[in-house]
Amino acid sequence: MAKAMDDSFVAYGMNGEPVRPQQGFPLRLMVPGFEGIFHTKYLRRIKAVDTYYTNYNEYGHLRQDAKDAALGYQIGPKSVITYPSGGQQLAGKGFYEIRGLAWSGGGAVRKVEVSTDGGKNWKPAEIRGTAYRMAHTKFTYNWNWDGNETEILSRCTDEIGQVQPTRAQVAKFFNVPADHEHSFNVPGNDNSIQPWRIARDGSVHNAIA
Amino acid sequence: MRLLRILAIVLLVGGVAIAQSPPLGVGRTPTPEEIRAWDISISPTGTELPPGHGSAKEGAQVYRTKGCAGCHGANLTGGRAPVLVKADKPAGTDPWALGRVLPWRAPYATIVWDYLNRGMPLNREGTLTADEVYALTAFLLFKNGVIAEDEVLDAQSLPKVKMPMRDAPAPIPEWKHGTPRLKGYPY
Repeated sequence: MAKAMDDSFVAYGMNGEPVRPQQGFPLRLMVPGFEGIFHTKYLRRIKAVDTYYTNYNEYGHLRQDAKDAALGYQIGPKSVITYPSGGQQLAGKGFYEIRGLAWSGGGAVRKVEVSTDGGKNWKPAEIRGTAYRMAHTKFTYNWNWDGNETEILSRCTDEIGQVQPTRAQVAKFFNVPADHEHSFNVPGNDNSIQPWRIARDGSVHNAIA
Repeated sequence: MRLLRILAIVLLVGGVAIAQSPPLGVGRTPTPEEIRAWDISISPTGTELPPGHGSAKEGAQVYRTKGCAGCHGANLTGGRAPVLVKADKPAGTDPWALGRVLPWRAPYATIVWDYLNRGMPLNREGTLTADEVYALTAFLLFKNGVIAEDEVLDAQSLPKVKMPMRDAPAPIPEWKHGTPRLKGYPY
């Protein structure tokens, strides 16, 4: 109910036209920063109740562990480097503008950092444009690649101080055994750091897989 | 420049005028019957449950005739749709390890009723009668060892069914503006 009264709204238009059928025409509930499943399309009725009914898809949010449950509603701080990213090819050593997107269900993106040495050192990236609440925020980072194999990563911090974690940090927090670290699911919508491995030949790969 | 300014004012005034227009003469207040027909969310107390009744034996029949087995399997497992019966494991096994099975894990029996009534059968939602939904609910609960085979479910008895995992789920967190999802996470 607190979220409903805070910033949730019913959308009748988008980008200067009515909400499109595939987006939920004529009315769509918007719950900014929450998982997409709460953004009900083709909204027909709103019913205010005094207990959690746990019906239909709400049932899927029930968890054994309270910490796990707490991560299931609001999207955590997330960022991803879109260039260079998995499947792409760099021509060779030299200057590159690393580009990416960041967002958070906690509000506006406050800071994005980039590491070009596998997470040992972090440098602030430049936020391009205005970082609006709940919105995709562009970032860039100027990088001179020396041609050696490396991993590039990005890390987002939002306006309420939440920091994007690595998979290893999440695994440690939940005491996931080391031999399961590669297969466990990050609770909530996976907001862990996505590392890209750049090989000496300039090919870019998913460093987790 | 001047024209632009006038244009802006016209647009502004126009906008206000539209916002204050009298009702457009479309739509009407729904009748209490219409609201009741749309009010399909069933609370844990079962307040909204319609009249009707059904037992597991009748539910087994409905399960066959309505095509449930086509997706969920003849024995409530092995189909392409979610498994509807808990895993066959020795007594004393952690109840969470018996599968993410709605009629086993749901904290209230009303959730099973609501789900069937609202979402099943896929692409033919809303075609089950209240009696059929009560019967199917009874069938699924019986198959998961929650109720006896001859127990009849209706608006009074359904909310009283004690689900085995009633108190198992962690409490749902209170959301507060500007508060991290989980204090101290992940470091």
